[in-house]
Amino acid sequence: MKFSKWLIALTGFAALAGAAGVHAQTAPDALVKSVSTEVTAVLKADPAILGNQAKLKSLIETKLLPNFSFSRMTQLAMGRNWAKASPEQQTALTKEFQTLLVRTYSGALANFRNNTIDFRPLRMQPADTDVIVKTVVNQANGQGIPIDYSMEKGADGTWKAYDIVVAGVSLVTNYREEFNTVIRDQGVDALVKQLQAKNK
Amino acid sequence: MKSVLKSAIFFTLASSALVLSGCASFKAAAPGDPLEPINRGVFSFNNTFDHYLFKPIAKGYDAAVPAPVKTGVSNVFQNASDAQSIVSDALQLKGAKLGDDLGRVMINTTFGLGGLFDLATPMGIERGNEDIGQTLGYWGLGAGPYLMVPFLGPSSARDSVGRYADGKIDPISNVSSVPVRNSLMGARVVDARVGLFPAEALMKQAALDRYTFMRSAYLQRRQSLVLDGKRPKDE
Repeated sequence: MKFSKWLIALTGFAALAGAAGVHAQTAPDALVKSVSTEVTAVLKADPAILGNQAKLKSLIETKLLPNFSFSRMTQLAMGRNWAKASPEQQTALTKEFQTLLVRTYSGALANFRNNTIDFRPLRMQPADTDVIVKTVVNQANGQGIPIDYSMEKGADGTWKAYDIVVAGVSLVTNYREEFNTVIRDQGVDALVKQLQAKNK
Repeated sequence: MKSVLKSAIFFTLASSALVLSGCASFKAAAPGDPLEPINRGVFSFNNTFDHYLFKPIAKGYDAAVPAPVKTGVSNVFQNASDAQSIVSDALQLKGAKLGDDLGRVMINTTFGLGGLFDLATPMGIERGNEDIGQTLGYWGLGAGPYLMVPFLGPSSARDSVGRYADGKIDPISNVSSVPVRNSLMGARVVDARVGLFPAEALMKQAALDRYTFMRSAYLQRRQSLVLDGKRPKDE
């Protein structure tokens, strides 16, 4: 029993170490697959990590953050309000939004521990710079949750996610409505303040 | 042939909902939510009701009842919902889903002892997961104004009509013994509330304004169900 746990842990960490170097030119679907596989392997090997804020944060910061474009995400969530924000406000918004998403994601990870993930084949042309990678998280009750990652190719050739669509609900669209409501009623500064208060 | 059938079914269904879509011409605060001030009032009422009565009951049930029993209870209600889904599969002429849901209900009702065990899922038979609200959407009816329904939560004009119609074909509300029927309906509500715990925790962490968050998630989710997970731009 103990040995098999170690074996899983070792496999997980080998995957982590191996994957760190190759991300630069990986295809978007392969990237989603390797990151999801790594993270679930780590969680399976060391479930205690979910109760350890420091470890969880470092897992997310090393494995997940580099693969998301938070500036694009924030801009999309702001929509036409982005132009209304000053450069300082834009920086503050991006920073706070990132913190909020990381916290939400850490909380959601606990639900993923015992589930398997199916990766759907990606239909993509070599010249594409914007694709949707589709996955399905299988739950014990037979209801699969589709999770789609919208990804874009940056100038340096790396792929980064800029939206996550869970069961048809887009993260960016959801926040766009929230941001819009706050800005409409109280302005951009109020939004920054609300995000800061939420992240405290 | 198919298109003639499509329009015939559409007109039958749409006529029942026309009255409601007429309400859409209010002065709109947010698109799709002309009744926002009223909805927010109901939302706040629902939250209070939930906080003091509903959630404590669901928590008590969740803590007191052993996991296998809870799973069995969920399975029975899911089986009833699969049976309801059959009608909507048929109304949307979705043959594959119709076959799956029929197969699920037959297997789970007989070999699964009245739905207590879900044998169809491990056999790879997926849920059709259709309802009358989705059926109306499939035949072209828009969601109409967003509605926060007292006690029941988020809905839309279309989905409220759907829910009413689904109630008519619901195996559980057609149980003839009144005490049994009421107990089953109560248990179903508690079971559904327990199922919302993870989503509730996520929303608490993620949302700046829970009302807006829930509205956006609800409307997007329903639209996605109507399109069977496809996005408009996939077509």
